[in-house]
Amino acid sequence: MKDIKIITEHWGKIDPLKIEDYLGVGGYEALGKFISKMKPEEVVEEIKKSGLCGRGGAGFSTGNKLESVANNPKAEKYFICNLEESEPGTYKDRLIVDNNPHLLLEGIIISALSIGAKRAYIYINGNFEKQKEILERAIEQAKEKKYWGENILGSEYNLEIEIFSGAGAYICGEETALINSIKGNRGEPKYRPPYPTQAGLFGCPTAVNNAETISNIPWIILQGGKEYAKIGAKNSPGTKLFILSGAVKNPGVYEAPTGITVKELIEEYAGGIQKGKEFWFAQIGGACGKLFLEKELDAKLNFSVGTGRDLSVQMGSGSILVVDKSVNIHDLLISWTDFFRRESCGKCVPCREGTFRLWEIAKRFRDNKISDRDKEAVKDILWTLNNTTFCPLGKFSATAFQDAVEKLKIWK
Amino acid sequence: MQTIQKILLEFEPKVENLLPALKKTSATFGYVSEEDAQKIAGYFSIPQSKVFETASFYDLVKTKKQPQILIQVCSSANCAVNNSFEIIREIENSFKIKAEEISCLGKCGEGPIMIVNGKIYEKVNLSKLRDILEEYL
Ligand SMILES: Cc1cc2nc3c(=O)[nH]c(=O)nc-3n(C[C@H](O)[C@H](O)[C@H](O)COP(=O)(O)O)c2cc1C
Ligand code: SF4
Repeated sequence: MKDIKIITEHWGKIDPLKIEDYLGVGGYEALGKFISKMKPEEVVEEIKKSGLCGRGGAGFSTGNKLESVANNPKAEKYFICNLEESEPGTYKDRLIVDNNPHLLLEGIIISALSIGAKRAYIYINGNFEKQKEILERAIEQAKEKKYWGENILGSEYNLEIEIFSGAGAYICGEETALINSIKGNRGEPKYRPPYPTQAGLFGCPTAVNNAETISNIPWIILQGGKEYAKIGAKNSPGTKLFILSGAVKNPGVYEAPTGITVKELIEEYAGGIQKGKEFWFAQIGGACGKLFLEKELDAKLNFSVGTGRDLSVQMGSGSILVVDKSVNIHDLLISWTDFFRRESCGKCVPCREGTFRLWEIAKRFRDNKISDRDKEAVKDILWTLNNTTFCPLGKFSATAFQDAVEKLKIWK
Repeated sequence: MQTIQKILLEFEPKVENLLPALKKTSATFGYVSEEDAQKIAGYFSIPQSKVFETASFYDLVKTKKQPQILIQVCSSANCAVNNSFEIIREIENSFKIKAEEISCLGKCGEGPIMIVNGKIYEKVNLSKLRDILEEYL
């Protein structure tokens, strides 16, 4: 099971710029199977059976999401592939495009058709210029083969695919903000409900899915949902791309079954801690991730922190930053707080003000000017961010700081 | 020569094209000036305030003239643990330029990341920094 590779199977072995290479390893067979043998409902059913859940961080059931859009009676529907990926320390979706863009494209086409969408968007991070070019090329090649466009593979299915390039805003990874940004608005989140699955892009039912999530779909169609459900953790099955960085010997992106422990990833995949460095803590899930001390590394990486007795941890985007004792914690506190101050969209006061104040306090802490009053204020600010902000970004912005105070005991 | 009119003609006047048009304008002229914003507003049949409302939100759309040498350094956690703050301090102390701190570009394997006038430099350290900046100064 440990060696099962769904996303990275052909990485480095095929030329991402040549559709023939992908076809040579069984590419677009899942699309062929769908077109010739399956109804859209059956695709959705298969994905539901697989237990696949969103790799964009929240871990929502992909099958349920697609089903709710598919069942919506409105005629016009959209499918959006979320390739914004601006979570610090996370670059897995980018690598999917770099190494096997057609796998993602095939997943997009199948998902879009399964919900009855006539148009699919790929919302790509504005800084990913090279990846945009790779995708444009893949899209062009797939069109020539009639994998999208009108009468796909001679069938009645039609689909348009379009790339929309973002413009540098972390919050645009959030699905309602993303939709606002396509519409030419500020990328601010919207109140949910209605969820995008009910009223999304241009008011139509819209499924927004992460690029990694979508890349699992061709495998599920070919091998079956039941097979997929056997891989990894029961409550959130499958494999996941983990991004290891910081003080590990071999930083990089690794595919491993869900339910793996943080320790296994560090020791067995990333080669352990670099020589001469001493482990301090690991941050899991990017800038919004919690901090884990050495004694907590046996935690299993899941999407839903279930009821089990096992220590488990929400993996979020799947990034694991290993921090060693030589790192200056002041730099990190400023990094976290300044990130959220910059990226707060400013729509709601607790986040706009709270992220700013935390950053100011982090600077005073660095300059040794921190007062007892600041330390008291931090408690209030963290509580407010955790409980009163409009969207999850505000809540995320408190996580690492809170752990730094409670677990790393930065105030002493 | 590229003009705002020519840029606009590349786009159909639909709302989905507003952000792409703003990005292109900013990339071509360095920023979206008030004059250009007026033309964009006319082309898309929206108020000029709406143009700036959208433009001012995004990092890749500038609404002010940029300095001649724009240095940006990633200060997100992965670059921070690789000493990006040391680089920011060095730029300020030795070169007397204030570097703009930016968020993660997803090039964490190659950090610290620095961008000078749009050109990306990877694995920057103090000795490389001097060589890079001397090209611009
Ligand atoms: C602040 C914030 C940033 C997010 N950034 C991303 C992102 O970069 N990529 C992504 O796929 N999902 C991101 N999400 C999650 C999306 O809102 C959405 O849940 C996801 O794209 C759904 O796809 P999935 O079900 O396949 O995970 C973000 C959410 C929040 C609150
Ligand atoms: S929590 Fe922050 S990012 Fe979210 S809506 Fe409020 S200001 Fe915007």
